[in-house]
Formats: sequence, structure tokens, C-alpha cells
Amino acid sequence: MKYFAFLNKQLTNRNAKASSIFLLIFLVTACGQQTQQISTQSLSKTYPTQPGGTLIDAMLGEPSGLISMIAGESASSAISSNIFNKLLKYDKNLDLTGELAESWHVSTDQKTITFKLKPNLKWADGKPLTSADVLWTWHAVIDDKTGSPYASDFQLVRSAQAPDALTFSVTYSEAYAPALDSWAGLQVLPKHLLENQDLHTTAFARKPVGSSYYQLDSWNTGENIKLSRNPSSVLGQVNIDHLVSRMIPDTSAQFLELMAGNLDSMSLDPTQFSRIVPARPKLNKTLNLYKELGNSYTYMGFNLKHKPFDDVRVRKAINYAINKQEIIDGVYLGLGINIASPYKPGTRWSNPDLQPYPYDPAKARALLKEAGFIANSNGILERDGKPLSFEIITNQNKEREKSAVLIQRRLKDVGIDVKIRAIEWASFISRFIKTGDFDVVVLGWSLGLDPDQYNIWHSSQQGGDKFNFIGYHNATVDKLLEQGRVELNPDKRQKIYHEFAKVLLEDSPVIYLSAGYGLSAIHKRVKGIIDPIPAAGVGFESEKWFIPEPLRRNEMNAN
Amino acid sequence: MNKNLLFKALNNPLSKAGFIIIVVVFLLAMLAPLIAPYDPDDINVKVILIAPTWQHWMGTDGLGRDVLSRMLFGGRISLLVGLVAVGISTVIGIILGAIAGYYRGWVDTVIMRLVDVMLSIPSFFLILAVIAFLTPSIINVMIVIGLTSWMGVTRLVRAEFLSLSGREFVLASRALGAKDARLIFTHLLPNSLTPIIVSSVLGVAGAVLMESGLSFLGLGVQAPQASWGNILTDGKDYIQFAWWLSLYPGLAILITVLGYNLLGEGLRDALDPRSNLK
Repeated sequence: MKYFAFLNKQLTNRNAKASSIFLLIFLVTACGQQTQQISTQSLSKTYPTQPGGTLIDAMLGEPSGLISMIAGESASSAISSNIFNKLLKYDKNLDLTGELAESWHVSTDQKTITFKLKPNLKWADGKPLTSADVLWTWHAVIDDKTGSPYASDFQLVRSAQAPDALTFSVTYSEAYAPALDSWAGLQVLPKHLLENQDLHTTAFARKPVGSSYYQLDSWNTGENIKLSRNPSSVLGQVNIDHLVSRMIPDTSAQFLELMAGNLDSMSLDPTQFSRIVPARPKLNKTLNLYKELGNSYTYMGFNLKHKPFDDVRVRKAINYAINKQEIIDGVYLGLGINIASPYKPGTRWSNPDLQPYPYDPAKARALLKEAGFIANSNGILERDGKPLSFEIITNQNKEREKSAVLIQRRLKDVGIDVKIRAIEWASFISRFIKTGDFDVVVLGWSLGLDPDQYNIWHSSQQGGDKFNFIGYHNATVDKLLEQGRVELNPDKRQKIYHEFAKVLLEDSPVIYLSAGYGLSAIHKRVKGIIDPIPAAGVGFESEKWFIPEPLRRNEMNAN
Repeated sequence: MNKNLLFKALNNPLSKAGFIIIVVVFLLAMLAPLIAPYDPDDINVKVILIAPTWQHWMGTDGLGRDVLSRMLFGGRISLLVGLVAVGISTVIGIILGAIAGYYRGWVDTVIMRLVDVMLSIPSFFLILAVIAFLTPSIINVMIVIGLTSWMGVTRLVRAEFLSLSGREFVLASRALGAKDARLIFTHLLPNSLTPIIVSSVLGVAGAVLMESGLSFLGLGVQAPQASWGNILTDGKDYIQFAWWLSLYPGLAILITVLGYNLLGEGLRDALDPRSNLK
């Protein structure tokens, strides 16, 4: 009978899968044994700097291409930042310094910036890198045909010139404070290879030629991307010969590979960081753990176009009803900070006078009552016969889903009915965020170093394709953001952004849940990591990292 | 006849074991509100990921919820989905199979080709695709599993109808002037019921697995409601040190599916005249 056969078939398939998993585990342990031959004592010795070796890390998603101004995704820029250079970069203390630029000069009216390039810059193919390349890159990024998500920063440039091979100057129609920061983000592309090509379809995206420490060696779709040292790098030579990024689309699988010694670095989640690794002596001996406060936070955002979230009392009540410390303890295992402004705590932009909303369900109930909500027979609050009930959507991110469950529980305590939906990222963006078809989101913002948050909060940036998708509109905030953009005096700017954060907190268009720590593990074979971690992060000056010869993997394993 | 069949099947120790397993699992799930030691959704961040103790027999999960309570309440979902989904697929299967087997001709051809088409699509992916368009919820999961797994029953019923309709008692009844409805509902259907029951029992096992699989992938039952599948998903992330989160739901699924399969196989053996039952 077909039906039984169908079931049997399913079972045999499952068996086949199970055996292949066993095979995989076997292979993984087999590799692990080879790497175990490096004794743990030799890992803790000090070694002189020496070139060579391979560093292996993992990526969750494959880049769509390596022209990051088009791809606009972290998977792409993680790789391309090793291949391309920018005009400026941030130093150890997060001050700007030159990368391709030797120096730069801001005119007295603060509208024109002139960059002087370092002499004798070369692309990996030997052609000279000049200001014409920079000019061409600017043209490309602002071009509507390119459709770059980073275009808005550069469209404020009224004119750009490259009067000679080493000079590049830009003029803004009015002073623009985040200008220098934006030039520290734009990767300069080679004009001679890309001129007259469609950046969306060019083969260059998978065969890039850059100027930085590495060049692309091979790209095996679905497997790995291998970079090798660029002998004509404009910034000098790196120590590590090869960087291999393996494509492993699941963090649990990545972690298994890390434990087996087949990855040298990965970012960890709080459980891995504070429960699993410390509990295993073997991992403790081979991995260094790093914890740094990132420039990012998780929030719960209201769709302000939907009732009842247009009512500030409702937003505040929900803010009081959520126990943020519980989320930090429960979801982030204490590895988070309760914040009151959208800036990294401890930096000059973060207003130290602001206090987060405390957990106060009584106050929440009082505010909701004031807003006209009365409990119905099921204990759910109602106004005009409509229950206070909404759906929280989030992407399939473990921490965010868990935070949503905690929020759901606490809001139930004050009589708010919450449903949760976790959606895969691509449809999350296209189906819900871009269409504005949502009540409440739990999401995160990763921010740059400049305090300008015009894109996120200014009322002109509303709408699905833009970052103010919650539809926030506050005239005071608009004015402050506009002022902050044209103010170049850091002290005055600081005042503006402190005031901005205060208004924002009072208005509560989003609820800050936690500023999380960036957690990572790096194998102890990698030496030269700056300790303690500088403000710029653990990856700062990774070009100086090296892997001493006795600690290297057998090269067969590395591939 | 059906009563006899059950007794006959229960003579076999394996199917007796299956029957007992199912009854126990059902009792536990039904009594969940009475026997669960905690509220299954009660979060307590002070007791995150505690290994099994006397306070928490099956430990706690990543949000400090009691796993035993969640297992008991999750069992209700898993069993309910299994039963309703198979109910739907059996009803559809009987209707289509009866029409095809009784009327034959072009109706038969159309229905059987439809069955072939449906069977040619891997069912799990079909279900995944449909769920991706709908909002994931228990009701949708039950309906979708039901609507995509009726083909086996259809073939079974059709085959039974084909073979029965040539038998003397059917011919006699027809000769006496019985109408189609009478023939189908009083003669053909009751006599083909036993294989349908067997296949349904085995089908429940498949549906329980299917629900667990969907919930595991986040497309089934949604938070905070527990089901064995989504407890298992939570466990996946902690598998290196919180074994209890994966072991218990895994065992529950295994035992339940085993129970249904043992019972189903026992029923089939009891039904099979060639099998040598004592």
C-alpha cells in the first residue's frame, strides 16, 4: 500500500540524514584531533612577529557582491573592507586619521574639504590610484542608477573636483558635520576597471581589484571566500597570508566548528560566552574571549501611525510596564546595559543626566487609565470597545524573540494582550517594514560613530524605504537634528544631541531594551591583538595580528 | 468487527505496549492543568537553564520556565494537531476515494491523477511553502497538514471500493435495487473501514512528527505557547550543556510516534489474513 510505503520512505530518508550527520561529526572530530596536537602550553608562550599562516572565520550569509556601496550589507563590507581603502579611517581612540589621504583641510566657511592623497598609490593590478578614482567613486555612489543606500550622505556634496592626481576636494552647500565621517565609510573603487560598466551586473563584484591589504584569491559559492595578501598594498604588508571566511549559515554550527578548532574567530551569543566556554577547560585553554560595548542597541518601536500608539500616555505606560533589567538578565545574561539615549553609554554624545524608565506596573496602569482604558471581563484593557491588543514582530533572532516573550508576559500583567511573530529577514523587511504594515517591532540599530541620527528620527525620513519607518514626527527633534548636522563645534554639538535624547526619552517613540555587548572569541594561536581592547574595538589594527609558525594549522586543514 | 480487531491486535504484546503508551500520553496531556507544577508560560529569569532538580523535574529553559509544565501543555498541542490533521485528511481521503472507486471512469482518472500530482511533490516542502504564505498558527498547521496528506487514504479507499464492489453481497444489494448512497454508506464504506483506521493511526504518527518539524523551524505553534517541536528548537541552541531541553521533547516525540506506529502495525497484522496470529 502506497501510504505505508510513503511513511517508510520518509523514515529511510531520515536515517540517511542521520548517518550523514554522524559522518560529519566524525570528520569534524578527526580534524579536531590533528589541531589538538598543538599543546596548550605553546599557546600561551610569547612569540616574535612573523609573517605567514591562515586565519579562518565564518560568515552567516554570503555577500551578494563585493562592491559594498551596492550590496549595502554587512556580509559584503566585512570582506570588501579588507580589499578596498577609504580616504579616512578612525584611529585607536576613534579620532579621524588618513588612510588613502595623507592630510585634509576644512575651509574656514566649513563648506569645502580638500583631501591630499598619499603619493604613489597603486591598485593591485599595478595601475596608479589617483584622485580621479575617488571622484569617479563619488559620481557612482550618488548616481540614481546605482541606487546606493549610502547615497544621501554624498548627495549633499554640491560639487567635487580632482584638480590634480593627488588632490580631491568637495564643497557642500552648507556646513555638514558628519561629512568627514562619511568619507571614512566610502570604499574607493578603481575607475579604470569599472568605467562604463553597470555596477549591478559587473563581474568585478565577484572579481574585485582593490588596493588594501588583501586581494581575492578564490570564491567558492556556498563554501568559502579566500583572500590572500596583496603584495602591492598601499598601506604596507600584513602578517597573516590568507584570510578564509567559511560560509556557515547557523551560529550553532559555527560554534561547533569553533569548538572543534576549525575556526579561529567568531562572535558569540551571551550563552556561549558566559555559560558554555567558561564551563569547558579545553575551550578556555584555546580561546581568548573579548567583550566590548558595541555602538548598537535593541529597542521596541511603535508604529506611530497606528492607534493607540499615537497617544504618548500609552507609549509611556508600556515603557513603565516592561522590566528592562529582566530582559538584560534573562536574555543577555547580564551582558547588557539599560540605556536612556540612543548613544553608546560613556561616550560624549550620551546624556548622563537621563534615567531609563523604571519598571513600575502601577504607574503603567494609572497612565493607561488616564488614557481611557478600562479592563474588560477577560482582564484585557479596552477603550471604546476596542481591546488593547497588538502584535510584536521581529526577525528570527534568538535574543529578540526571547525579549519579545518577556515583554509579552509583563504587558499581560497590566492587561495588554500581545502576540508575537518572528519572521525571516527578507520578508520581514519587504512585507512588513517597507509597507508599514505592523504594530510594534523589536529590532536593533547599529550606529556609526557620528552622533547624527537624522536618517532615523527626522520627519522627512518617514516611509518604508527610509529608516524612520515608525513614522516619528516631532518638530523639536527635527530642529535639533537639523542644527546638529551643521554644527561643527563639538561642545555645541554635544549640547544639541543631549537635548535631542532628552526630548526623545520624554516622547518614548521607542523603548530602549538594552545596549548589548559585542562578544567574541579568538583562538589563542592569533597573537598581536591589542590588550586591553581600544575604543576602536578588538579588531583594530588586525593587520598587525600574526600566527606563529608552531601554532599554525596543517595547511591541508585550512582549506 | 472493529471491536474484534482491536482485541486481536492487543493480543500482540508490541501493539499492547503501543496502546498503553498512547493512553498514558493522552492522559498526561489532558490532565496537564491539574498535574503541571508551574504555569508553563511563567518566566523567572532567576532560574534560567537549571538542570533537573526536585523543584524542576525536567529543568528550566532559557527564560526560566519549567520544562515539565511546558512538556505537558506542549503535549496537548502535539496530540491535538495529530488528531485533527489526520481527521481532515481522512475525511477528504474517504470522500475522494469513495467517489473514484465507486463511479470509476473519468472521475476516477481525474482524482487519481490529482493524487499522483500531489504525491509527486515532497509533502514537507509543500507544507512549508503553504505555511510561508499564511500566518503560522496551530489552526493553520492542522489544516495544512490535513490538506496535504489525504492521498494515501484516497488510494486505500478507492482500492477497497474497487475490490468490494465486485463482491456478491454488493451485487446482491444492487440487484435488489439499492441506490448509490445506500450501497456506499451501508455496504462499501463499513467494510473498508478497518484499513482506513490502520492507516489513520499510522498517519497520526506522521502528523505529530510533521507538527514538531514545523514548530522546530518556527513555522508551527508560536510563542509563548509550547509544543514539543518548539521546546526542541530552544534546546538546539543550548545542546552543548543543557541536554534536558533537547532530550525530553525528543523522547516525548519518539515515544508518542513509536506508540502510534506499534498500535498501527499491530492493527495491520491483526487485519492481515496471511499473518500468523496466535
